[in-house]
Amino acid sequence: MRIKVERRLETPKFIYILIPLASIIASLIFVGILLFLIGVNPIDAYSTMIYRAFGTKFGVTELFVKTAPIILTGLAVSIPLRAGLWNIGAEGQLYMGAFAASFIALYLSPPPVVLPFMVIMAVLAGMMWASIPGVLKAKFELNEIISTLLLNYVAIYWVEYLVYGPMKGKEVYNFPYSDLFSDYAILPRFFGTRFHAGVIVAFILAIAIYILITRTSYGFAVKIVGANPKAAEYAGISRKKIIISTMILGGAIAGFAGMMEVSGLHMRLRAAVSPGYGYTGIPVALLARGNPLFVIMAAFLFGLLYVGGSAMQTTYGIPVAVVDVFQALVVLFIIGGDFFTRYRISFVFREASA
Amino acid sequence: MSLLLWQGGKGCNFYKLVEHYQGIEINMGNRKTKTERGWALQGENSDIILEMKNITKVFPGVVANDRVNLEVRRGEIHGLLGENGAGKTTLMSILYGLYRPDEGEIIFDGEKRVFSSPKDAIESGIGMVHQHFMLVNKMSALNNILLGYKTPGDPLLDYEWAREKIRSIIEVYGIDAELDERVINMSVGEEQRVEILKSLFRDVKLLILDEPTSVLTPIESERLFQALKRMSEKGLTVLFITHKLREALEVTDRITVLRKGRNVGTLITKRTDEKELARLMVGREIDMKIEKKRVEAGKDVLKLENVYARNDRGLMALKGISLSVREGEILGIAGVSGNGQKELEEVIIGLRPVEKGKILFNGEDITFSSVRKRTRLGISCIPENRIETGLAPSLTIEENLILRDYESFSRNGFMEFDMIEAHAEKLVEEYGIKTPSTKAPARTLSGGNIQRLIIARELSRNPLFLIASQPTRGLDIAGIDYVRRKLISLAEEGKAILLISEDLEEIVQISDRIAVIFEGEIRGIFDRENVDIDRIGLLMSGGADN
Repeated sequence: MRIKVERRLETPKFIYILIPLASIIASLIFVGILLFLIGVNPIDAYSTMIYRAFGTKFGVTELFVKTAPIILTGLAVSIPLRAGLWNIGAEGQLYMGAFAASFIALYLSPPPVVLPFMVIMAVLAGMMWASIPGVLKAKFELNEIISTLLLNYVAIYWVEYLVYGPMKGKEVYNFPYSDLFSDYAILPRFFGTRFHAGVIVAFILAIAIYILITRTSYGFAVKIVGANPKAAEYAGISRKKIIISTMILGGAIAGFAGMMEVSGLHMRLRAAVSPGYGYTGIPVALLARGNPLFVIMAAFLFGLLYVGGSAMQTTYGIPVAVVDVFQALVVLFIIGGDFFTRYRISFVFREASA
Repeated sequence: MSLLLWQGGKGCNFYKLVEHYQGIEINMGNRKTKTERGWALQGENSDIILEMKNITKVFPGVVANDRVNLEVRRGEIHGLLGENGAGKTTLMSILYGLYRPDEGEIIFDGEKRVFSSPKDAIESGIGMVHQHFMLVNKMSALNNILLGYKTPGDPLLDYEWAREKIRSIIEVYGIDAELDERVINMSVGEEQRVEILKSLFRDVKLLILDEPTSVLTPIESERLFQALKRMSEKGLTVLFITHKLREALEVTDRITVLRKGRNVGTLITKRTDEKELARLMVGREIDMKIEKKRVEAGKDVLKLENVYARNDRGLMALKGISLSVREGEILGIAGVSGNGQKELEEVIIGLRPVEKGKILFNGEDITFSSVRKRTRLGISCIPENRIETGLAPSLTIEENLILRDYESFSRNGFMEFDMIEAHAEKLVEEYGIKTPSTKAPARTLSGGNIQRLIIARELSRNPLFLIASQPTRGLDIAGIDYVRRKLISLAEEGKAILLISEDLEEIVQISDRIAVIFEGEIRGIFDRENVDIDRIGLLMSGGADN
């Protein structure tokens, strides 16, 4: 028997839906096997997750609270991805946004306008951080995957340095925390839960970005660069400008996510502001194929995993890292699945005579 | 790995590799019995090493090879001459196992053969050096030569044995290469020598060289010719594909001329000359069926003054081009591809920087203007590479139809989808683009319809000037006729047109003036009234004009 790999002339539409779904299912099965191997019944584990996220008011609001930053980082990855760029740096951009917002909240706070000021500075910090790989890519063709990834560590350790050192709070004992923000610097919360105003903003932003990239001429230009950079140049679109602007836009959104986390949840700057939302943005953008409305859907899936993941930790003693395993598997399956959009595999049982 | 999910992994090397060996097969048992290497001896006394009889190959809409016969004698250098699209590469691809012929048979070394893959051909003793080299840049010459070869003592590589063998090849044929140098550091000429060594290392009896001088400097070409002559003296047979008359005359023993997929004659080199070859290659009968009214040419629309530009390799590709295109006129650029046509197109539309010189558009200096500015001034372009440059294949027909003017289809930054749809429907109707829907991806269109789409887009902009680069390449008769008539009617409306084409017949048929380009220089400009095909053919091939 031989396996024959043939190039597809046409990719059937269902493949594009099938691949993300199959990737999710395959990842669930693999994580299930992993759970089984450490002696946890996967079906019990998964149903605990579902119950924790949907069964209580606390669970549902927590789901939204965890989903919101993932929507934002998903957007931060999606926009450059539409132009064919990989922004692996949403995590770092988020940290820089968190830092900038906290700096304003703690040291420069003219009370009534502090929130808008925090937003602006966080967005600027995210933009600045994303512009570095953007400019390097546009000017010198420096691989953005590497530069964005490495800049994450710079940002994360910068924040850690601050909360262990100069910005360490006076009343936090030995925790790597800053002081609490003043009330003016904290996002309003609703329903007596952690559901804060940032969640609503995240949804509005997703819709706004959807309009930007599907309805405007800028979005069209980004699409052409992503589809065929050579044709874009021929159409008079500057590829460099699109590279830099999509990166900066992504950075702005991730920076806002950072502000939202410190101002909406933690109410202070701390080490580990994000449990890896920036990286979660990558599978989210991949599952959504860059479409912001699908980003919302995919973000809910991962929000569910985060909520359920912490439930599994308390119930079964499984580390939350199981969420990372799931994420990595989804990315691997999607990238692997891409092969099937281009090639068809057939099994030949008898060789045709020459 | 950018674009991976998006465009289906354009940037991913693995896929490229798979694509390159399209239809790669993973063998799981059921292994074929290999041809023993010793079999070739049986034909050793025969004078004819290769005979291709009545080879016919039809691609959709094109007959690439039409009952071609080719006979190559042992130990000769045989030239295969013809314009681009004459069927040279198709014929060689059939011989090398890349294509299967629809009809006809191949007799190699006295045995009837059908090669099913290059591997098959190499094992039988046929080597090919492609126009674009197939070397791994980051590996040394030695490793490139050994790649895929089993030295004695396999699976271990016997480098000493290999070096010894290569040394003896270098001694015999005088083709030298620095074995430990990485390919990335090599000149093009040296890369080519590595390719040739790769074939010789596999003990080929017949070596095919596809346009070997197209990337070489004159000195490197000379060196190659010396080596080829030595190979032939040592009994190796060489098949030399070219479109340059001079080279064919200089290095070959016999020449087969192909024109439009047919063998129009095999000549003994010593008994022929440039004139005869040019006539055979280009053909006498120029079809003048389409009537082009002579429009009184108006003022200069586009003017190039002493323009220099470099190609992608950094070599000077345009060397002081001066020309002007006037209102109501078609200026045809005749020439064999690779002589600066692509660079000329890109310099005019603004994709390639000008090294020296000036470009004027209606008197305005646009030498350093952006693509967008030039587009707005009224420069349209049917690019040579339609799918790679002219189209975003994954986007819809609608979107592709506004590719170059998308900003005029928006209001306050928002796209006007109704307008775009109406525009697309109008153009699909007007230009007869055959598609079930304007929302279908452009890649679902056939070649002819893709060309119609691009023409529709470029002409509907109501341009003042149009560059049409190879506008009928790959089209069927009806498509060709359609495109030519469109160009003529556009010129008759008073537009200026620059027609770049390898098809000399096309140039002669519809141009008002003809400029001949060779190695980045304009070698001569003819008026329609006093066209001399023989002289154009000669100039195109680098012959002297006297």
